[in-house]
Amino acid sequence: MELSNIEKLLEKYFEGKTTISEEKELKVYFTRETVSPHLEHYKSMFQYFSEESTITATRDFKIKPKKKTRYAWVGIAASVVLIAGIFMSDINKPSESIDTYEDPEIALQETKKILKMVSSYMNEGKQELVYLKKFENTKNKFIK
Amino acid sequence: MKESAFITLTDKFKDKLFRMAKRLLVSNEEAEDATQEILLKLWKNKNKMQEYNNVEAFAMTMTKNYCFDKLKGKEAGNLKIVHSNYKDEQPSLQRQVEAKDSFTWVEKIMNDLPEQQRLIIQLRDIEQYDNVEIAKMLDIKEGAVRVALSRGRKKIREELLKKHNYGVV
Repeated sequence: MELSNIEKLLEKYFEGKTTISEEKELKVYFTRETVSPHLEHYKSMFQYFSEESTITATRDFKIKPKKKTRYAWVGIAASVVLIAGIFMSDINKPSESIDTYEDPEIALQETKKILKMVSSYMNEGKQELVYLKKFENTKNKFIK
Repeated sequence: MKESAFITLTDKFKDKLFRMAKRLLVSNEEAEDATQEILLKLWKNKNKMQEYNNVEAFAMTMTKNYCFDKLKGKEAGNLKIVHSNYKDEQPSLQRQVEAKDSFTWVEKIMNDLPEQQRLIIQLRDIEQYDNVEIAKMLDIKEGAVRVALSRGRKKIREELLKKHNYGVV
């Protein structure tokens, strides 16, 4: 290719107006062994460009193994079973209470008996509290 | 979609994703990670893949966003990755050293460009996408692509000329 043509193309090239094919021509020209001396410094640029386009990635693409989702399902299943179990056992619980009386009279009697027993124990316990008075008196002696 | 089908599909543009990520993140390792991450995301959404009219462009956009997020996070974390990507190639030693020197030089210049320009030069001059595609991927106007392209290229030229004239900077 003529030198003048190359020069013209270069001019266009630096204005960003060359087409891809024109740029290819430039690349072909500048990758030759001999280049016109006054264009020598462009050589490394175009050679670099064509050199760079041959670089390849060295690592092969590998798809990472998927995380095992099976175990997630086991967890969900277990929790469903657990919740279901709780509800089921709630329903099956015996709801009727023991120690009941059909006749209200007897029920009243029984209740009274129980209450009396409770109060008698209460009084028994309360007797011990008399000693607290002693503490009170002693305290009053010292702290006024 | 089967795994093998997915891999054949993505293999076509996987390296492009990688190169783009590398351009933005600079470090090889990080670029690899980014590529994996993007492919994994695509894989997870494989059912929706039929809806995208251009999976490649979509993946490129994803990569761009991912890298920008990474960069933002890095700035916030005040972290700087020091990278050393060494290669081993054959050609004659003299040439090799010279070429290497000028390549690393171009690379350095390019990585000093603003992210947007860097990205656009990557997409255009290295991956050879046309401006319409780039505009779509980056969600900017076609005119903006051309302007950024021109600015980036001019900047590279400027820096190269400096080096060429003085030999040092």
